[in-house]
Amino acid sequence: MTIIDDLVKPPATGIRPRGVSRREGWQRRLPLLPALIYTIVVTQIPFVVTLWYSFQNYFWNQPGGAHWTGVANYKEVFTDPSFRNAIVKSVTMTAIAVIVAMLLGVALAVMLDKKFFGRGLVRTLLITPFLVMPAAAALVWAGPMLDPNFGLVNYLLEPFGVHHVAWLSTHAYGSVVLVMIWQWTPFMTLIVLAGLQGQASDVLEAAKVDGAGAWATFRELTLPHLRPYIELGILLGSIYLVNAFDQVRLMTNGGPGTETTTLPFFLYQKVNYAFDVGGAAAAGVVTVVLTIIVASFALRMFARVFQFEEAR
Amino acid sequence: MAGVNYMAASRVYAKGAPPAVDALDLDIKDGEFMVLVGPSGSGKTTALRMLAGLEPLDGGRIEIAGRDVSDVQPKDRDIAMVFQNYALYPSKTVAENMGFALKMQHVPKDERDRRVREAARILNLDESMLSRKPKQLSGGQRQRVAMGRAIVREPKVFLMDEPLSNLDAKLRVQTRSQIAELQRRLGITTVYVTHDQVEAMTMGHRVAVLSDGKLQQCASPRELYDNPVNQFVAGFIGSPAMNLQTAPLTDGGATLAGTVIPLAAPVRAAAARDQLSEIVLGIRPEHLHLAAEGRYPDTAGQDGAGLADLTGEVLLVEELGADALLHVRLAGGDPVVARAEGRKPPGPGTRVTFRVDPADVFAFHPVTGARLAG
Amino acid sequence: MTAVTAAEAPARTSRRARNRARELAGKTGWTVLGWVVGIAFFLPVLWMVITAFKPESAAETWPPKFTFSPTLAQFRVVFDGMGPYLEHSTIATIGSTILVLVLAVPAAYALAIRPVKHWRDGLFFFISTKMLPIVAAIGPLYVIALKAHLLDTIWVLIILYAAMNLPLAIWMIRSFMLEVPTEMLEAARLDGAGRIREIIEVIMPVVIPGVVSTALICVIFAWNELFLAINLTVTNAATMPMFLISSVPQEGLYIAHLSAAATVASVPVIIVGWIAQRSLVRGLSMGAIK
Repeated sequence: MTIIDDLVKPPATGIRPRGVSRREGWQRRLPLLPALIYTIVVTQIPFVVTLWYSFQNYFWNQPGGAHWTGVANYKEVFTDPSFRNAIVKSVTMTAIAVIVAMLLGVALAVMLDKKFFGRGLVRTLLITPFLVMPAAAALVWAGPMLDPNFGLVNYLLEPFGVHHVAWLSTHAYGSVVLVMIWQWTPFMTLIVLAGLQGQASDVLEAAKVDGAGAWATFRELTLPHLRPYIELGILLGSIYLVNAFDQVRLMTNGGPGTETTTLPFFLYQKVNYAFDVGGAAAAGVVTVVLTIIVASFALRMFARVFQFEEAR
Repeated sequence: MAGVNYMAASRVYAKGAPPAVDALDLDIKDGEFMVLVGPSGSGKTTALRMLAGLEPLDGGRIEIAGRDVSDVQPKDRDIAMVFQNYALYPSKTVAENMGFALKMQHVPKDERDRRVREAARILNLDESMLSRKPKQLSGGQRQRVAMGRAIVREPKVFLMDEPLSNLDAKLRVQTRSQIAELQRRLGITTVYVTHDQVEAMTMGHRVAVLSDGKLQQCASPRELYDNPVNQFVAGFIGSPAMNLQTAPLTDGGATLAGTVIPLAAPVRAAAARDQLSEIVLGIRPEHLHLAAEGRYPDTAGQDGAGLADLTGEVLLVEELGADALLHVRLAGGDPVVARAEGRKPPGPGTRVTFRVDPADVFAFHPVTGARLAG
Repeated sequence: MTAVTAAEAPARTSRRARNRARELAGKTGWTVLGWVVGIAFFLPVLWMVITAFKPESAAETWPPKFTFSPTLAQFRVVFDGMGPYLEHSTIATIGSTILVLVLAVPAAYALAIRPVKHWRDGLFFFISTKMLPIVAAIGPLYVIALKAHLLDTIWVLIILYAAMNLPLAIWMIRSFMLEVPTEMLEAARLDGAGRIREIIEVIMPVVIPGVVSTALICVIFAWNELFLAINLTVTNAATMPMFLISSVPQEGLYIAHLSAAATVASVPVIIVGWIAQRSLVRGLSMGAIK
């Protein structure tokens, strides 16, 4: 090794490798700029404005506009039990929905990986919930499916001793989570399925020869292989589900009481019913900070998802 | 006692399609190194996979150590397999890869570690490698881990599916002898698949040549080389390949490049029986002796009497160092390859004369390819 | 050796038959399971479509009716009312998707092919904008839109939907671009291709299917979006999701009508998703593991 090192030592003439020239550097940056500038303007400016308004007292059903109020909004947010409740609801609903959707996703992906009659058609049926407009899904589940008096679910469960349950009243939390799971399982399924189909067939054969049965193969080989896919599914699913709004607004309107009031819905209420721009802004800022904390924590756990390969 | 027996074993992929493996009958003795060789599509890999239990049998049966394993799961056949692309478990370390089968058999950890370390020692795998993952290893190292995974199991039969084809040339030659040596030492029955006839000839106790799913000939390398049973085996075994030319029959022999090559009486009788007007002549490159060199085989008389002469013009010379290969166009237009001394081979354009001992000439049926008795 | 004895021939067929029977039994098991699960997941959608064809009287019954005389009456009402909503949704969806592609393709190029020095940071920045909940800024967004006279215009939706989908689009298109074989690019460079030629002639052909599937996902998310639409538009830019909400009246029977509206609102994206299934699957999973 050292002989090679000696041979390729750079000449001692002070010439250093320059890498990419300055002009080339700017030429490379150019294509990125439109998207970058656009994103900064459209996402950061509202955030800065939000920050500004969080220190203002601004109710737009009141005359007089906004005036400075220091950290009063923040004090209110931190002492407001309904804000804390909204956080708890958001976190728990998202966690349950994502985990169950992923478990189902893995199971369904395993199923779709096997050859059977009409597999393509079944896959088409299975991805449909993801394609349905969330607003439509929420309304259809709330009405034709879960209604206590004419809902299909009650009808199908009758032989099992379930009678005219008012799901959205007595099991509001569960109903909302159920619809979230129903809509996002296909997403998880597709991601995991891609992972399954990427497994080398000869590795699986080697396992067969080595004496691993179906379950052992799955546990020892397939699951480790699926790990980055599962992590990605959980990450993306969480990002989208924590912001989910349609189901709560259209199925339960946050109720009964505040049983299903998630953060998005809480903020919606603050703006549209309390007309409290300042308060909503402060709550929004706190939400952002919390999200950053959780996201950094999550990213560290899911480091593998961001193992970017070297770009050219 | 762990012999392997293929008894009329067949594999057909689609109804009505020609079988991938057609009623294979093969007897592999305990401790033998049997090579299955043939071009792509010959069925050799399929036959190996049938032995492994990765392909079902559509006919006949397979026995290991006298026991019918045709319907037995791979894991219960007591075999170990080395795959062409090694098929190492990517999420596991080298040690875990090698110990996986033992783990599946619920062998206790200490015993597992001991056997893994022992196998690593045999294969010259450094202790430090045991904790690495496959993607951190070179091709040659991965190949050894794949072998280690098989050795650890101490199975009745080793199965190897072209394990050297992904190595570079030099490593291939090195590893070839290591595998042969290893098999000799461990004494485990081995079935080895390759498309490379050099590997087959150098490694196998016996070699089974397959083509189109059918067994052509199964014999020792020497026997295959000296006594090929048909044109396919003759042309497949030996490098450079045997020269094969269709030659019209005449009195006493066949005509090649304007010369009559005498054929033995039984050959002529067999040809006459089938009413043949021409046959396929086979001459190995080393049996075309350059007249200029004046070196003749022992069977010839003084000054090379009794030999046939073939003349031609050199087209191309491949210098290999010790030998040279001459690509020659014979009078009459047929191309042949001849082996000559490496020091001063004739250059392109030279007119040359070859002397051939008729006893070294093979005769094949032009249609069936079968060797005409001689 | 190749002569198959009289005893072997039936043995061959029976063994083959046994193998096939075993295969078939396994396949049948999975088929049953697959179809049960598939129908279970599809049931709500099926029920939605069925209910859309019911007259209201047959929609809110106990037990729920599976046979009835179908009518197109609900659809007629839906088609009557949905005109402007459909128009707004279409413009907002297509407009924002075009904008996303125009911005994302060059950005992905800058992060994949001839990468910017801090490409990792760049990529992370884009993804981080997705992690911050849009809901947090809705109040100020409303005020900004108001002051910029963009409230209740189609533009506010186009702008925001584009920003919403941009990170995902960049991530996905970038990963598709990474699939372009290095040798192709090097060959093009040797042939003297400049940047533009490189993009058009070498990269785009390879990447077009990926761009299409990215566009599809953007269309799905934009078409289905409710939160921003409901907060920032009223009538002049109201989209299909809002049309859907409007079909839930304060009183009276509405289930069949609602189902019809839901069906019509969802159908475009469902059909598109079905047709481009493969593309979609590739995009969703590909966009990721790179």
